[in-house]
Amino acid sequence: MSSPTILHGGGSGVPSGTAAPAPAASTPAPRGRRRERGREAALAWAFLAPSVAVFALFLLYPLGRTLYLSLHGNDIIGRPDRFVGLSHFAEMATPEFGGVLLTTLLFTLGVVVPGVVGALAVVLLLEGVVRGQRLLRGAFALPFAFSVASASVIFSVFYSPGNSVLNGILYQLGLDQVPWLTSQEMALWSVCVTTVWMNLGYGVLVLAAGIGSIPKEINEAARIDGATGPRLARDVTVPMLGPQLFFLVVISTINALQSFGQIHILTNGGPVGSTTTLVYSIYQYAFAYGTSDFGRASAQALVLLLVVLVCTAVQFGVLERKVHYA
Amino acid sequence: MRISPQRRGVGAAALLVSLGLVLSGCSGEAEGGTSELTAPGPEVLEGLDEAVQVEFWHSMDATNGQVLDGLIEEFNARNEGRIEVTGSFQGNYDEALASHRAAIQQGETAELIMIYDLGTQFMIDSGQTVPAQAFVDADGYDTSPIEDALLNYFTVDGDLRSFPFNNSTPLMYVNRDAFEEAGLDPDSPPTDLAEIREAAERLTVRDDDGTVVQYGFGAAVYGWFVEQFMARAGVPYCDNANGRSGRATEVLFDDPKVVELVEWWEGMIDDGLAVQIGRNTDDGQAAFTSGRAAMTLESTGSLGGFIEQADFEVGAGYFPLISADDPGGSIIGGASLWINGEGHTEQEVRASWEFVQFLLTPESQSVWHAGTGYLSVNTDGYGLPEAVERAEEFPQFSVAAAQLADSEINENTAGCMMGVMSEARVAAEEGWEAALTSDTPAAEAMAEAAGRVSTPIREYNDSVGE
Repeated sequence: MSSPTILHGGGSGVPSGTAAPAPAASTPAPRGRRRERGREAALAWAFLAPSVAVFALFLLYPLGRTLYLSLHGNDIIGRPDRFVGLSHFAEMATPEFGGVLLTTLLFTLGVVVPGVVGALAVVLLLEGVVRGQRLLRGAFALPFAFSVASASVIFSVFYSPGNSVLNGILYQLGLDQVPWLTSQEMALWSVCVTTVWMNLGYGVLVLAAGIGSIPKEINEAARIDGATGPRLARDVTVPMLGPQLFFLVVISTINALQSFGQIHILTNGGPVGSTTTLVYSIYQYAFAYGTSDFGRASAQALVLLLVVLVCTAVQFGVLERKVHYA
Repeated sequence: MRISPQRRGVGAAALLVSLGLVLSGCSGEAEGGTSELTAPGPEVLEGLDEAVQVEFWHSMDATNGQVLDGLIEEFNARNEGRIEVTGSFQGNYDEALASHRAAIQQGETAELIMIYDLGTQFMIDSGQTVPAQAFVDADGYDTSPIEDALLNYFTVDGDLRSFPFNNSTPLMYVNRDAFEEAGLDPDSPPTDLAEIREAAERLTVRDDDGTVVQYGFGAAVYGWFVEQFMARAGVPYCDNANGRSGRATEVLFDDPKVVELVEWWEGMIDDGLAVQIGRNTDDGQAAFTSGRAAMTLESTGSLGGFIEQADFEVGAGYFPLISADDPGGSIIGGASLWINGEGHTEQEVRASWEFVQFLLTPESQSVWHAGTGYLSVNTDGYGLPEAVERAEEFPQFSVAAAQLADSEINENTAGCMMGVMSEARVAAEEGWEAALTSDTPAAEAMAEAAGRVSTPIREYNDSVGE
């Protein structure tokens, strides 16, 4: 981590006022001063120690362990018992795993795009509502309060084959029945809809806060120039929401890539693997069906880590340039 | 995403030395106790200062959990100061097995554990438990009242491996009211696929636009049913005589019989006679109890719930045959009890066995059967008051026992014994579902699915050194 910066920051905060100007660092410091600086560093490390320990225990250790497991085969109890090199990674070059990655990609797009656009639409439309705006915002933000499990159970009732609430409504309207979870083509989108609904509340909260922080003068200036309605939204509000939108895209991408509960409850990855995303595939190898194949699961977990890193890096590289920070 | 935080080992710790992080290994070997897995006699429980503690891991919750807790309480009351059993719910069967694996790694297994039928071969191979046969032999315990089909399943290589306890067999359930409305006789429900189709044609109700409002049939795409259909058709599920004459090396659910079943199922859905359920058995149950599907397939364990939830009269018949000339027979499902020896004292092992004997008495089984709908593992249990009363009130409760009694005992009805049975079951479901949800022909889908299981089987057999 960037410990030098932290140390420097910590040092300048000490009231003794020894914060040295930059050039002083390159000239040899007097002995006493060096000792003092050493003490400061020690103090800083002492303060950092708890968080470093927690970080190491809960992030670095599991990461190291995952790496170790990914290079080993398991016995039937799940204990690593032989070194297999990179063969778990080599095995991934199959159409099945390609299918898992494609499903992951489709799921992520199907969650992030409608989720962010939907939240934006809700917030912009609510801007036009004068009375009860706060109440409506609260209502739209409500899904945020649902746990993944309860939201998924509710949707499983909506989708339930044979007794689908949604199909009941369609039937009343005289429309065709939809195989929400039992068709390979539909199931993924049904899970996406559930996830979008769950994420909508958070998006609304973030964007509503963003709108509230746009300076009034800007809106007034735009109005004086004759911008109203859609024009105002497109050329003023949305660009001013750049940082919030960017944040939402990054966070919901990571969330989508790590989604598990809704898939587990609604489809178990089926029908025929059509909703098996990378996370679900990891779960299946490691825990489902009494397999305990921690080697292959760990190898896939590292692939997931890589995917998340690449997505986030690309988003920062491409999108963030376009974001206007007020 | 989280990969087993509790599994730590020396190798990974090495990675952390640079971080100056000291991790105490907790994967020590089990301490003390009996390392040879033998059955101690009753004398080990004599002259104890305090009651022997037995922790019992199980997967029974809701109604079934309450009935089990009642039995545990009764046992503890009778053995006060001698043995104290503590029940501990470990989640569903898969979760309990995962917890047990972790416990083996840490050398902290419970004294007694309930493991589902599919985990039987794994339990044998992991070598942690005292074989049930050892207790039977040491005590001269009489197994003759135990249901033959259960002994058939849990006996491997001539030895009984574990004690059957909560066991079931699947039935065909019918909506009696719908049968009567359609002019069918609910007392003789269909017995094979052709008859189901005939009945379904009369049971299916469409509205004026042709939309189906009541389907004739609807059941989950559940791998257990494939196992049952194969046993009843007299074909083995895996090679080497269902894995009982040697390690199984491949699964055989691409058999023409199964292909016939899957094609029939597809036709039922395509023709609007059956509702497409998917793999979730809860959805299959809901389709039946809501009246949406007039016939379904489910475990005997669902009977109590069906009677309670459905607002029509529930009937039960034998699980169907694929074709009328199939020999019939039935495999059991459910779980059995395993007594851990590795890492446990002789007292603990003996105390667990005492408790198991209590659970297998006709008295306990009568209570268990009446309260849960599971079979009475001890067939004498059916003659006792609780079971008799239940059977008088709901004659459907007797169907499962009759079906088992009618079942011939052979290797096909013993069921497949294999280390990766759960994976095989899922593969069968996926093949079946692939045929239902895509253009892939049934034969191809089942063959592809069966082929996919070969690698896990080989790897499992390799890792147990065979």
